[in-house]
Amino acid sequence: MKYSIEVTALTVFAGATRLMGPVSFQLQPGGTLVVMGETGAGKSLIAQAILGTLPSALRAEGEIKVNDRRVDQLPHVERAKLWGSEIATLPQEPWRALAPLMRSFAQVKEAHRFVAKRQAHEATQATKKAFEALSLKGAEKRLPGALSGGMAQRVAFAAATAANAPILLADEPTKGLDAERHSKVIDLLAEVPQGGGTLLAITHEVSVARRLGGNMLVLRDGELLEQGQTSSILDAPSDRYTQSLLNADPQNWPVSAPSHIGKMILDVKNLSVTRGNKRIFEGFNLELHAGEKVALTGPSGIGKTTLLDAMAGLLKPESGAVARDGSLAKHSIQKLYQDPPAAFPNRVRLAHVLQDVARRHKTEWSEVLQTLEQLAIHPSLLERRPDEVSGGELQRISIARALTVRPKIIFADEPTSRLDPITQRETLAMLARVADENQIAIVLVTHDKNIAQKWADRAVSLM
Amino acid sequence: MERANTLSATIMPPSPAKRRPAQMLGYAMMAGLAIAALGGPALIGADPAKQSLLATLQSPSIAHPLGTDHLGRDMAARLLSGAQLSLSLAFLSVITAGLPGAILGVLAAWFGGWTDRILGAFADAVLALPGLLLVLMLAAISPGSWWALYAGISLTLWVEYFRYTRQRARISLAEPSVEASRMLGLGPWLLVRRHVIPEIGPGLLTIAAFGAATAVTSVAALGFVSVGIRPPTAEWGVMMTELLPYWREAPFLILQPVACLVITVLALHLSVGGLRRL
Repeated sequence: MKYSIEVTALTVFAGATRLMGPVSFQLQPGGTLVVMGETGAGKSLIAQAILGTLPSALRAEGEIKVNDRRVDQLPHVERAKLWGSEIATLPQEPWRALAPLMRSFAQVKEAHRFVAKRQAHEATQATKKAFEALSLKGAEKRLPGALSGGMAQRVAFAAATAANAPILLADEPTKGLDAERHSKVIDLLAEVPQGGGTLLAITHEVSVARRLGGNMLVLRDGELLEQGQTSSILDAPSDRYTQSLLNADPQNWPVSAPSHIGKMILDVKNLSVTRGNKRIFEGFNLELHAGEKVALTGPSGIGKTTLLDAMAGLLKPESGAVARDGSLAKHSIQKLYQDPPAAFPNRVRLAHVLQDVARRHKTEWSEVLQTLEQLAIHPSLLERRPDEVSGGELQRISIARALTVRPKIIFADEPTSRLDPITQRETLAMLARVADENQIAIVLVTHDKNIAQKWADRAVSLM
Repeated sequence: MERANTLSATIMPPSPAKRRPAQMLGYAMMAGLAIAALGGPALIGADPAKQSLLATLQSPSIAHPLGTDHLGRDMAARLLSGAQLSLSLAFLSVITAGLPGAILGVLAAWFGGWTDRILGAFADAVLALPGLLLVLMLAAISPGSWWALYAGISLTLWVEYFRYTRQRARISLAEPSVEASRMLGLGPWLLVRRHVIPEIGPGLLTIAAFGAATAVTSVAALGFVSVGIRPPTAEWGVMMTELLPYWREAPFLILQPVACLVITVLALHLSVGGLRRL
């Protein structure tokens, strides 16, 4: 039997500490392997070990064979020769992997010319064909900065697969994409094994794993929890952690109980907003009641954040009005941000940040500590700076910070899109609970329709 | 990838370990210079102005640890007196240039619009004028005066603080975290203190150290070309001019003020070497 990738007892160490493994698996041409787990589970380490790109502080043990050739003992230069010709990689966030000052056609052509070693005119032909096949027509002359996320992904895919490498490693290929582009990228990946290639995909999303099928590994903190056929693991997980990963998929969330809805506190009428010369949306209406959970969905780039800012009074609308109820104090509207570290002054200890706000609004410190306890944040975390706590913890601290002001409305701008599924579920559940207890209305911006349906009382779809 | 990055960060903290010794040396040199400047000639109990024409251009001895100059004055006392003058001027000019520069920079970034344009144009106008020219002009109005030198140096140095602060504060103030703090009701002072000052502090210290080094060199350079401080005041640049004719007979004498200048500039640069990475 010929295997494309054969890994035996692969273990990754940092000094004497074991970070990942041991894992063993074989992949045949036409096979798919999905590696699933949360951030920090060591998923990327597997791909890096196969490629030979582990950071120099890490050491891999075990045996790795690529196309029946042992590669883990090869010197770095020899391994690099496999890249592009035998193993291709699709990096995370491809718009960062593309050369920013090179037009997309030239980037793909370069790969055809020098990795696949074709003549110049052949390379041009092949690139044209690739652009057609990936429906990238019209994007040839664009710089990566002018490409949408989905297009950048396909350009990176075209460049990575130019030399027809039979093995493709995809590290979190759907990270940062909205639902529609999401499924397009998965379609693209699913074609690889159909064409006789080998696919190794790393993801934390259950839906991606389900679509790709094949076999799967479930990792947690570097520990292999489950291994087997993807469909059978997803249908009948034997490990509790896998089960909780499945439960954390918004598709499997239970529908939340309806909130106790009070009187109307914000009335948005006929709102139109322009950015530059472009009208982003017009005639937007929303009536927001105390204690209500509203989800705002729509594809990325449609202006959800702008709309939120306009409703929060941070942006002057072109026309229309946002009428606040008279009972709303000046700071009754608070906002949660997509990227929690960006919402905190990054060199100041968290305790200082919270104390500033508490002092300003004459909130007792004990009350703040109580809120933190409700959100399962240990007070010792406050001695750290924002970059020293995890994203999930920081988002919960920012919820606590907003609650210190005793808000009536919280605008949450994709507050969990950068968090792992389990953390996402916990964070949104906590947000819903504190909102319910304090009769706070929440407008949640999300690109995940499942979250909108399961979590919110009602969903407003833009477009 | 993310995982790997955090890992390598925890395993091998990218601490400026190599820079540490150099920085410590810088601090030690600064401490030495500070003692010299604070104590002055009184440290060795000699008068920098007392001449002794019978004992000129002497080699180092117990009575005169660094020898005597062409008028028989004690070199050590004169160097210490020069240190007092140069360092006090550097220190003062850094403060009087740094504080207004940084405050105006924050104001320009905060208000934007016309405030920013007017302050920016003013700073550009100062920049267009060569600093040396300004100092020469002031020196011409009041020749040899310490105050003219100080005012000239301070007036040319503030622009750098202004431009740096304005640039960095503009970036900091545009961050979502500032919007968040505003929505939470924090006032201007807290916004600046929590968001701007921690960001610009290390950079300002670096500029201050380099600015101090520039000031020390400028004083010496102006003294050397007989524009700055006048003899018989003991100033490093003036001493270089005075001792230059005797370089053949007593080369160790002219080397002393030069060495003092090099040590001071080096100490300032070394001590901020590590800060620049922040």
